[in-house]
Order: sequence, then C-alpha cells, then structure tokens
Amino acid sequence: MTTVAATGLNVATPRAVVLPAARLHAPVRLNYPWKFVSMNRMVMSVKATSEGEISDKVEKSIQEAKETCADDPVSGECVAAWDEVEELSAAASHARDKKKAGGSDPLEEYCSDNPETDECRTYDN
Amino acid sequence: MAAVSTIYSTQALNSTHFLTSSPSSSTSKQVFFYRRHQSQTNRRFNTIITCAAQQTVVIGLAADSGCGKSTFMRRLTSVFGGAAEPPKGGNPDSNTLISDMTTVICLDDYHSLDRTGRKEKGVTALDPRANDFDLMYEQVKALKSGIAVEKPIYNHVTGLLDAPELIQPPKILVIEGLHPMFDERVRELLDFSIYLDISNEVKFAWKIQRDMAERGHSLESIKASIEARKPDFDAFIDPQKQYADAVIEVLPTQLIPDDNEGKVLRVRLIMKEGVKYFSPVYLFDEGSTISWIPCGRKLTCSYPGIKFNYEPDTYFDHEVSVLEMDGQFDRLDELIYVESHLSNLSTKFYGEVTQQMLKHADFPGSNNGTGLFQTIVGLKIRDLYEQLIANRATVPAEAAKA
Repeated sequence: MTTVAATGLNVATPRAVVLPAARLHAPVRLNYPWKFVSMNRMVMSVKATSEGEISDKVEKSIQEAKETCADDPVSGECVAAWDEVEELSAAASHARDKKKAGGSDPLEEYCSDNPETDECRTYDN
Repeated sequence: MAAVSTIYSTQALNSTHFLTSSPSSSTSKQVFFYRRHQSQTNRRFNTIITCAAQQTVVIGLAADSGCGKSTFMRRLTSVFGGAAEPPKGGNPDSNTLISDMTTVICLDDYHSLDRTGRKEKGVTALDPRANDFDLMYEQVKALKSGIAVEKPIYNHVTGLLDAPELIQPPKILVIEGLHPMFDERVRELLDFSIYLDISNEVKFAWKIQRDMAERGHSLESIKASIEARKPDFDAFIDPQKQYADAVIEVLPTQLIPDDNEGKVLRVRLIMKEGVKYFSPVYLFDEGSTISWIPCGRKLTCSYPGIKFNYEPDTYFDHEVSVLEMDGQFDRLDELIYVESHLSNLSTKFYGEVTQQMLKHADFPGSNNGTGLFQTIVGLKIRDLYEQLIANRATVPAEAAKA
C-alpha cells in the first residue's frame, strides 16, 4: 500500500468506468465443475467384460430376433431385435480387435502406458 | 469493445486486471494492462492481450453402427500426433477417445433409451426418438465454449446407460456416430462435417467378414439384420449426407468384372466447393475432368491396378469436386507416385500422406482409397484447424486496434 501512496495513485476514485458488477455465480461454478459434482455414485466393478460373454450375448440375441420376427416380420419389435444383434456384433468385433491389438506383447503394453521410461524411448530423428 | 463487469482494487502501480468480458462480446478472455507514466500525464497506455480461451474446433463424422475405435478416428488423431486412448482410470467400456489435441465423443452416449427401452418401444438406435438431441446440443455447445461437461456413457456391451464421465474441452472435438448432422442446432456448431457412405454391396461384404467368425451368425442372419435396419437407415441417417462438407463413398470396384468379394474398392471423395478454410484436393487441373491410370511405363502395378478420376459435379444441389480412386496399392512407390501428382493435399512436407499411410499399414483400407482419402481428409482438417485458430487470434487484435 505504501507504493500506492508514494506514487500518488488515488485508489478511492479509480479512473476506469466501473459498471455494476454482475454476480459471478454461473461462471465460477463452471470454472470448477469438479467441486459441484455429487460423489454418491454407485461403486461399479471396473472389470472390463470378457469376450466370451459378448459372444454368448450375440448368439442369444440372434435367437431372440429370429423368434420375434417369426411372429411379425415388419413390426418395430422385430426391427429393434435385429438392431440389437447388429450392436452386439459390433461390440464383439471391437472386443476381438482390442484383444488382438493389446495383450499380445507385454512390452508394448507397458510402453503404451509409460513411454518415457528407458526401455520405451524411441528416437525418430 | 469490452464491457467492464468487475474491477478489483488496484494493489500496485503496474498491475494487470483480469476482466471477464461480457457475454455479448467474444468468449476470449481479455487482459488489460494498465500503466501510469511517472510524469503524471493524462494519457493512459492500454495494451490488450487476448489469451484465446479454448476456441474448440468441432468436427462431425457420420458413420453407421458402432463408434469410438474406428479406423478413421485413429488416422485422424494420428495426423495431429499422439495416440488416442480411452480415458485412463475411468469406465473401461467408455466410448470416448482422448489424445493430446483431440477428443472423440461417440454420439451413442446420447441415447435417451437404453437397449431394453428401445426393445419395449420397438425403435432402433437409428431412430431419433431414441436419442436426446437437446442434451447433445447443450454439451457440444458447452465444450465448444471451453466448459467441461459430464457426459453420459452408453455401454455397448450391457446396453445400459452408465454413470457420466467428465470431459474436458479439447482443442479439437470430434463427434462421431449416427446423427451428428441430424439436429439443425448441432449442425450449426460443426466447423466441418464428414459422411462415410458405404454402398449396400460393400456393407454386406464387410459385415460378412466381420460376423462370420461369430458363432450363431449365418449368412441369413447377417442379411436379415441389414435389411431390418435399412428402412430406418434410409429415413434418418442417409439424408445427412446432403449436409456434409466431405462425403467418402465406398463402392464395389469397376476394374474387376463381376467381383463380389469386396476386396478391391472404388472410393469417391466428394468435396463441397465454397466451404470456408477447406480447399478441395485436385488432380492436375482444378475444375477439369481427368481420368488417370498411373500404371504404365514409369510405374508397374499388379492386377487390377489403379485408376483415378477427377471431375466437378453437383451433389444435392451443391457444387462439388469428386476425386475417385479405384484399385489397390501394392507397394510404397505406387503410393508416393500418386501423392506426387495430387495437388492441394495440405501436407507439410513431401511424402506426408505416404508416411501417414505407412504408419498405420495394419489398419484396414491402408492399401486402397479408403485409407488414402481418410488420411487426406485428416490433413484437410488439420489445415482447417490451423487456419481457424490463426483467424480467431487475429480478429480480437484487429478489434482492439480499431
């Protein structure tokens, strides 16, 4: 504060035009979104689903779809059933790709998580 | 013009004041530097320095069935550098991919009905009734303005909506799924949009390749699945291609008569003319019609070879340029030869397209037009991003001078 007084800056009458300040509730909340998140989520098991489960699901859904469509081939239920088959087949193929991509080489897996360690450093140039 | 909404009391002579600009002006933060001359003159020196607070570029990609791990996304994120991975420590079934510069959001996360809900109502995931477009619009808008959001997760394995995950606003946001361009408000937010149009024969061939390994599936079940979804697809998803800035159309080859294996593909890159910051790729002469077979004396290709076509055209009442490639690459020198004859690729150095293709030689489509055009679109998006950022940085500076 001494520097202020020494240089003669009058704090009481600031030179800038001050419009009435809007209460900054919303931006403040948005700046710290983690502060306002409720922490009472269910604790979920974080294990990724295995491939066999998905294959079983695919098989079961195809069975169901065939049954639903046997009654009425153009109903919404039939279409939704085949859509489910498609969704599960896509999930199954993604799981297969993921399994093929990762998990084959332990060094690759380690290095994808820790690229800065000595074993994993690559020199491109 | 920056309206002063709050001012904090001056603590030192040469201090900086953080002023949040009013909502009506630009979203970038503006830092006012106040300096008083020792000579007590009445002149004030105000230097405005703008820190562009997170001007996110939003890209939309429309593609059928499944999202998050697709090849296009991996190529795109690779162009910007770094590998895209699911968020660490979160839900392992999350569909989101995050790299240094990009975040890819799967629009399946905005399903309003989970799998049982859809089965009860008899709607497919393609139906807009199964998606919450209001939430999609709000969250994409928030991310675009630099605000983090809690985005729901749709678990493709269980078919349920899991607890939301926190998404930080990235530099480039890619929204991928079935309906990025369906809702008009979301469409307005997109800086660039792409539609992957796979023809029915190719779709059938690809699905056979994908699903025949699954027990329970047979040719009939695959066919039934495609046909059951077709009416909804044609009604809701297909019309989006008229809004796309770039359409990648994948068709069966014309080089092999009666080919039904779907291994060799004819791929057309349809690029809309007149899109800001997007200059279409061309072959030899812009706006002319060229048919080019690179295989000959200088380049030897194996069967069935490569054929290129370039022509201007109209697509849903828009002027477009179409670059088409039919055939397959077998060797590196074919790829570099083709790259050296294409113009307006937005590469930073000679051979960048080839390098990107080689980097991901194990991805599907690396030997044909799908990989090539996906890589080129990735470079175009990088170019668009750099131009957009440069433009947004200069605009406030000009406004300050005025």
